[in-house]
This record gives sequence, C-alpha cells and structure tokens, in this order.
Amino acid sequence: MKFPYSMLLDYVRTGLNAEQAGDLLTMAGFELEGIEEVDGEAVLDIKVMSNRGDGLSVLGLAREVLAKDPSAEPTGLYLSSGVPPVQNEVPVSIETEACTRYAGRLFTQVRNGPSPKWIQDRLVKAGMRPISLLVDVTNYVMLERGQPMHAFDFDKVRGSRIVVRSAKPGEKITTLDGQERELSPFMMMICDAERPIGIAGVMGGQETEVSDRTTTVLLESAHFQNTSVRKTRRALGLSTEASYRYERSVDPNGVLAAIQRFTELIGDAAQPGATTDLYPAPPARTAIRLRVSRAARLLGMPIAETDARQHLSRLGFEVQGEGEELSVTPPSWRPDISREEDLVEEIGRVHGYDRIPEALPHGSTTLGGPKSFEAWKDVVREATVRLGFQQTISHSLRDESPLDDGRFQRIGPRGISDPDMKWLRNSTLPSLADAARRNGGRDLQLFEIGQVFGKKDGQYVEYSSLGLLSQGAIQPEWWSGKAVALASFFTLKGALEELGRTASVDFVFRPPASLDPRLHPTRQAEILAGDQAVGLLGQIDPDTAEAAGLPAETVLAEVNVTAAYGFSKTGIQVREISRNPAIRRDLAFLIDKSIPFQNVSDRISSAAGDLMERQWLFDVYEGKGVPEGKHSLAVALQLRKVGGNLTDEEANQVRERVVAALAELGATPR
Amino acid sequence: MASVEEVEKEAIGAIAQAASTADLRDAEIRYLGKSGLLTGLLKQIGTLPPEERKGFGQRVNESKDRVQSLLEARLDAVKCGEREEQYERERIDVTLPGMPVRVGREHVLQQATNKIKRVFTGLGFQYMEAPEMEQFKYNFEALNYPPDHPAMDDQDTFYITDDLVLRTQMTALQGRVYEMVERGEMTLPIRVFTVGRTYRNEAVDRTHGHTFHQVDAFMIDEGISMADLKGTLGLFARAMFGDEVKVRFRPDFFPFVEPGVDYAISSPKLFGGKWVELGGAGLIHPNILERYGIDTERWSGFAFGLGVERIPMLAYGVDDLRNFLENDLRFLEQFPG
Repeated sequence: MKFPYSMLLDYVRTGLNAEQAGDLLTMAGFELEGIEEVDGEAVLDIKVMSNRGDGLSVLGLAREVLAKDPSAEPTGLYLSSGVPPVQNEVPVSIETEACTRYAGRLFTQVRNGPSPKWIQDRLVKAGMRPISLLVDVTNYVMLERGQPMHAFDFDKVRGSRIVVRSAKPGEKITTLDGQERELSPFMMMICDAERPIGIAGVMGGQETEVSDRTTTVLLESAHFQNTSVRKTRRALGLSTEASYRYERSVDPNGVLAAIQRFTELIGDAAQPGATTDLYPAPPARTAIRLRVSRAARLLGMPIAETDARQHLSRLGFEVQGEGEELSVTPPSWRPDISREEDLVEEIGRVHGYDRIPEALPHGSTTLGGPKSFEAWKDVVREATVRLGFQQTISHSLRDESPLDDGRFQRIGPRGISDPDMKWLRNSTLPSLADAARRNGGRDLQLFEIGQVFGKKDGQYVEYSSLGLLSQGAIQPEWWSGKAVALASFFTLKGALEELGRTASVDFVFRPPASLDPRLHPTRQAEILAGDQAVGLLGQIDPDTAEAAGLPAETVLAEVNVTAAYGFSKTGIQVREISRNPAIRRDLAFLIDKSIPFQNVSDRISSAAGDLMERQWLFDVYEGKGVPEGKHSLAVALQLRKVGGNLTDEEANQVRERVVAALAELGATPR
Repeated sequence: MASVEEVEKEAIGAIAQAASTADLRDAEIRYLGKSGLLTGLLKQIGTLPPEERKGFGQRVNESKDRVQSLLEARLDAVKCGEREEQYERERIDVTLPGMPVRVGREHVLQQATNKIKRVFTGLGFQYMEAPEMEQFKYNFEALNYPPDHPAMDDQDTFYITDDLVLRTQMTALQGRVYEMVERGEMTLPIRVFTVGRTYRNEAVDRTHGHTFHQVDAFMIDEGISMADLKGTLGLFARAMFGDEVKVRFRPDFFPFVEPGVDYAISSPKLFGGKWVELGGAGLIHPNILERYGIDTERWSGFAFGLGVERIPMLAYGVDDLRNFLENDLRFLEQFPG
C-alpha cells in the first residue's frame, strides 16, 4: 500500500514526520517497506498483513497512528460521518448470498474529463495511472477509504437496472482491459437486464465503460464476500486493486461513506441523484468477553484496565463494563477479531511489545533431544563423516539423471514445467553425481543423507537415503607419500562395513538378486540387513558414467536408512577377553575363482570352532604358477583359548580341520 | 710391574684421548673392568708384606675412584657431543607440509543444525521429524488456515496431489504432535522442536530459493506467556550469536499464532547495529489447541520458526543462498566445523 504522506495527514493530526510515522506503523504491524521522496513529498510504502484488509486504506492506517501515538488527533475528515440520503429508486436486485451489500448512486449531467491536478499527483505517487475524472475519483476514494468503487455509463446499462447474480453457463464478458472472458457459474456478476456488465469485485465490463461522452453514471459501492472474489480472481488469473481488497476484507458499513466522499470530490462535475442501498443481512456484531488479567497473563506484562480500554477504543472497538471483565465489540472493519485472544493481541500491539520482559518458562522440564530413528540417523551421519566423507546437501527438486533409480517410480510437483525442478529425486545418487561433477569428478569422497521420493505399489512414499560416492585418491598426494590408495569397490565396502559396525547393523553384501543398470554388471552387490535388501554398492556402469559425465572408476553406494533402522541392534553385551596369548596359523591354498570367498570364510569359521578368535584374508594371487580358473588365497587364523593356554598341538588340530573342510570345496594346500 | 701411579697416569691419558663413547667403554674395561689393569693391581696384594696390604688396597681403590669419576665426566662430555651430531644429522625442515589427513566434514547447514539442536536439547525440547511430502491438512488446515485464505498465497505451494504438498513450513509438525497428545501418546506439558527442509514455489536468486531449511519450536504448559517466548528466543539467539544479543518483537500475522509477531535480533557488534529479522513467533492459536481438545483456560503455548540458512548468512556473511545446495567444495571447505 503506497501513498503520499499528506494523504495520511488529511485524516490524522500528528507531530510525527513521515519516517517516524512509518516506524510507528511498523511497530503496529504495518511494516514500512520503503519511503521515497517524490516531488518534495514523502511517499510511504506499507506492507499490509493478509488478515488486515482495513489497512489497505489511508483511513485504516490513520486509525493505527491514532492508537499508537497518544498525542495524535483525528481530523474533521476522519470524523465526518455524512452519508447520502437513500431512496432506492434505481432498481437493484441481489440474487446471490456472496453479495452482502450493494449500494449505487446515480449522477446526471456528468462532464467527464481529466481530474484535478492534485488528485492526479496523489494517484501517481500512489502508483496509479490517472485516466479520467470519474475513474480517478473512484480510485482516490478507494485509496483513502479502502472501498473499491465502479462507475457504469448508465445509458449503456440495458433496462436501467442492476442484477447481482451468478454467471450463466456460456456467458461471456469483455472486461475493461479488452479481454474477452468466459464465465463459469460460480462467478458473481454485476448484470443489467440482459447481460453481465462487470465481474463483481474484480473488474468492470468494456461495454458500459465511462468515456468523455458519458452523461449519466451509476456509481457502485458494494460489499462482496472474499471467498467468492478470490475464487473468481484465481480462475480468471485477473488480480486488481479491487479484488486484492475484497479478498482481504472491505468494511461492509463503509459503502455509503465512500459514496459520500465521491460526491464531495466530484463536486460540480456531476449532479448527484438518488441512492439505492441493499443490505439484506448485515452481519451480527457480537461482543467478546475480555478479562484484563488474562490479557496481562498471556502477554507476560502488566496491563491496567484503563490502558486496555484506551487501546481498544482508539482502534474503534466499543468497550463496555467496568473492572476486570469487559465486553468488547469489534468494529465492522475488523472481521479478523473473533475471540478474546484477538483482543489480547490488539492490546499488546498497541501497548508495545517492547515492554514485554524476557522470562523463562516455569514448570516441569521434559527430556530434550532426538530419540529412536532421529537419534540413530545422527549416528549414521557422524559415522560416515568419521570415515572421511564430506557431507553434501542437495536439492530434492531436480531434473532427470542417468542415476535415477529405475525401480522406484519418479514423482514430481504438479504443473511444473521448468525441467530443472520437474522431479523429486528418487535416489541420492543423482545428487552426488551432480556434486562430484561440480568438483571436477576426481579424488572425491562424498555423501548425502536426505529424503528421496517416489511411488511404490500406487502409494506415494518417501524415505531417508544415505548415498556415498568415492573416486580416485583416498589419501591426498603429498611429498612423503608412498603408494596412494585409490577408491574401489572394496575401499567403499570397507567403509560400509565400518559404518554398519558403528550403527549396529550387520550389513551383508551379496551378488544382487537383479542387476541395477546404473552399476557395472559384474561389480555390484546388494546390501542386506537381516534378510532384507536395504541398499546397493558397486562401481558405476561405464555407459552410466559416460552419460553422467563421471570417471569410470567412480564407486557408488546407497542405503535405505529408514529400512535399515529396523535391523539396528540396541545394546552391547560385552564379551570376556582372554588374558592368554594367541597363536597364529596361516594357510595358503588354491581354489576355483568361481567359489565366492564368503563360502570359504564361512567354512573356515564353522570348521575352526570356538577357538578361532578371528580370521583374515591377507593375500590373493593368480597368474604364474597358478592354474587357469584358480587363484591362491592366504588366510590367517588367530586362535586363543579363554581361561587357559592353547597348545601347539591344539592349534595344529584346528588348522587340520580347516584344511579338511576346505578340501571339500576343492581347495588344495600350497 | 707398573705402579698404581703409572697405571693411573696411563688411564687418565687414555680417557683424555677418548673421542667417543665406544673409546671410553674400552678404557673402562681396560682399566676398571674385572680384569682391568687397575683392578688387576689388587692381585699383587698377596705378594706384599701384611703391614703394607691395607695401605696398598686403599691406594688402588682411591685411584679407581678417581679414574671412575674422570671417566664419567668425560663420558658426559662425549655423549653430549655425539647427541649434538645426531641432532644435526636428524634435522628436518619443520616448514614442510604435514601429511594431508582426509577428514570427513559436515555441511555448513548441518553444522548450523547441530548447534541449534544442542541449544534446544539443553532447553529440554524433544527433537522430532515429519515427512517433507506432507498432507495438506497438516501443512495448512491443522494450523488454522481458513479454507481458501489469502495467507496461503504468501507461500506458493508445490502440490503433488490435491492432498499432498511439499511442506511449506516446519510448523506442519505441530498437528501431528497435537494428535499424539489427543491419542495419549504424549502428555502435556510438551516442548518439541524440529529442523528440516521446506519448499515454496518461488523464483531463485541470491536471496530466494524454492528449497530452504527451517527450525520450528513450540511448547505448551500452564501459564506460558509472550514473556516466556521472548526469554526463550533471547536465550536461543544469544547461544547462536553471542551474549549481547537483544530480541525485538513486532506484530505480524500467521494463522497459527495469536498474538503473532516477527522477531528480530540486534547486537552492538553485529549486523552493523541494525535489527535483523529472524522469523515468526507467537502464542499458539487457541483455535488449534481447542481443535485437539486442549483446555485453553489451563494451557497456553508458544511457537516460533527460523530459517537455518539465516544463521551462516548472518554469522559468516554468506550472501548468496544458492551456495548452500550447490556443494562446491571451495565453499564447503571454508566451514571446517
């Protein structure tokens, strides 16, 4: 709401300058967004909250100044209460409940031309374009009093009557902006005896537009329900100064005062005639009980009854009763006030929120912080960070990517045409691919933990996903460096195993039940928790790598964190540690490459029994001296007894049992 | 046969000439060892007349002590010299770069989130989360938005279906929590907060994004007032921005609070001394409490929200919102955590 400061001074006498008035309005909730000097006068730009339609007028803002500035006084214009005599000579009928009130006044012997310079100047400062006397004065009154008005060329109104009704199927209207608009039955129209001549609360029709030749005018000043105007405005995509005000709220009791002001301003450029006013069901005004002590309690500052009374009165509320309990009736321009707490806000706002002291809540303290899944997610993220991965946070709304999960139906917001935000990610891998590319694609260890979205079995679902991307040197190159460790399937697998350990989930890696086309077909694994697939791990497929612009040696993993949480174990049961020395036995053997190491390892464990504390693979060799199709594996067994020393003989027995068990897999010792 | 004096003189000479700890060890063995020359003199004791034996033994032992102490003094000096040489040999250039350790780090928004979580956890606020793809009823309806109200225009919403939106505000958690209270899964008083991602269909530039992050905190107890809200916000703002931070309220409208305010902070040393708006706040609207069967005569509550991005923007001078979700390591690495 933009207006020259002098307009405000027409309504209120105050010692404040424009800037001070702007600050005062800001502290009343009407934020000064800008103040500029135009032709030697300050023009204020005030942001009006969406529940305060009454603030979209100089009159409304003047009330706020009066309430907040105790030394301010109303002017004659503010106090003037004249209304035109009502004869109801122009036939008007209201056929829809969405029209609360319809008033109109006839003006004859109209001489429409340019409006006076002072009106034009003020309108320009308020950001409006001067058009003609009739149009300018309606706009000026709207600016002053918040009442949208419309002037019809009455000679063009067929049947000399007004009907406010819903549009009929197939009806059309050409609005003032020259656009022909198709109407729907939910739209409220101003019609003459035959056809729509204006869209109620939005815009008038071209056929009844006033011009230089206009001699008779019907001035409309009405009240329409905000939901109806809003629906029509949205359907037509046509927002105007009038619709903006009606949507927020216009004072139904102000329509006649606006006609009166128009009549004053139009002066002898037109001869005022009969006024018609239809107000079938004025809204009931209900008094609200206000307990001053409750206001003080909710605001957290002392409020005297006299202060409460004064603040509300200055805002135009009727206050009755004495003492602790008051009966307060809100004015007709404040439909936002319906209960005691609303009054408490009014009192607090005028009294000044800067008077509220700082206190801390008393009462029982609850246990703070995250629990269960939220707490576990923190563990997962912190564990990943400890493994040396840089956290990334990316957009969920995005474009298509070669790394989208083909098995999770993608979804996106309705009606979005921008390809960069058409889809919600269904995997964290596309985000990581973008992050990697932005950073050159090489020597990166990145992760993201975030929500992914899609449709499964017809249901819209989202879950938390952990994505990891690893490429190139894990240890940055440096002057004393020996061999640089490079990211591979197994470096990332090691990280995931460690992650599982910290987060108390046993991850099992196995060849996937079905291949994921994003990953290298012979270098990918499914990650299981319990017996449920919760993720995947693998080197990027060479074609995907090309399409995504990433190096072929990029390794990726994704874990459905929401699903994995179901398999996290709680609590640790400590194991007794042996104080006796351990014995190590190594064994090397040739075995078919087609036998997964997991099988070998499982055999060793079951054959070795309880005496084996730990086993680890320390060499894999193929090539010279090893037959085609086989490889040589070297495994170390760490053996130990709890509560006694293990003998060499016992250790050898374990080793023999293991050798025998591996022989069943076709392994031959080397 | 050499006399004690002769052997001692020779030993003193050998010690003086010794250039290394090895030479000295040799000298020690040669003169003071079990079969060393000085020790060896004691073997003559049997050949001496009985009255000379005591005196001779004494002289040998005294001589041994003198040689021993000379040797030790010399050893100290030689050792010291040798260490000096060793140190010189082992000299390194301490200005060579240290081994670059690959350390994982959290994103700057995560760091801000962690800090927020610590403060609220300390204040006894329970941390909870809700879906980003939220039901319309939780995002608007449960929060006292009248149907078809222009307030919904303030937040251009991404719709997935008629009933499902990308949440526009973290306040959307509240309805879920109040339902838990209604079902008896939580009991009053409550203190809850959440941090997460919100979406609004806005054009993207330096200060606007369609995706950003918010904190929402709310509590319900007996006798909660605007003063409690101001105090809690003050405590929070001072934990985030320093001890001198002050909080200011200004009236504002959000359908889910009454009275509603926006709050700003200022500090003599920060933000050029200006008031900086942080977010919206107020007392939880009684319509909401009543909708979930909470007696507003007994209970009242406050709620407030805040943009997570605002914190690094204000604290570190980040002036382009787009930096946060682009993951440029040149940006992220400036926040080592």
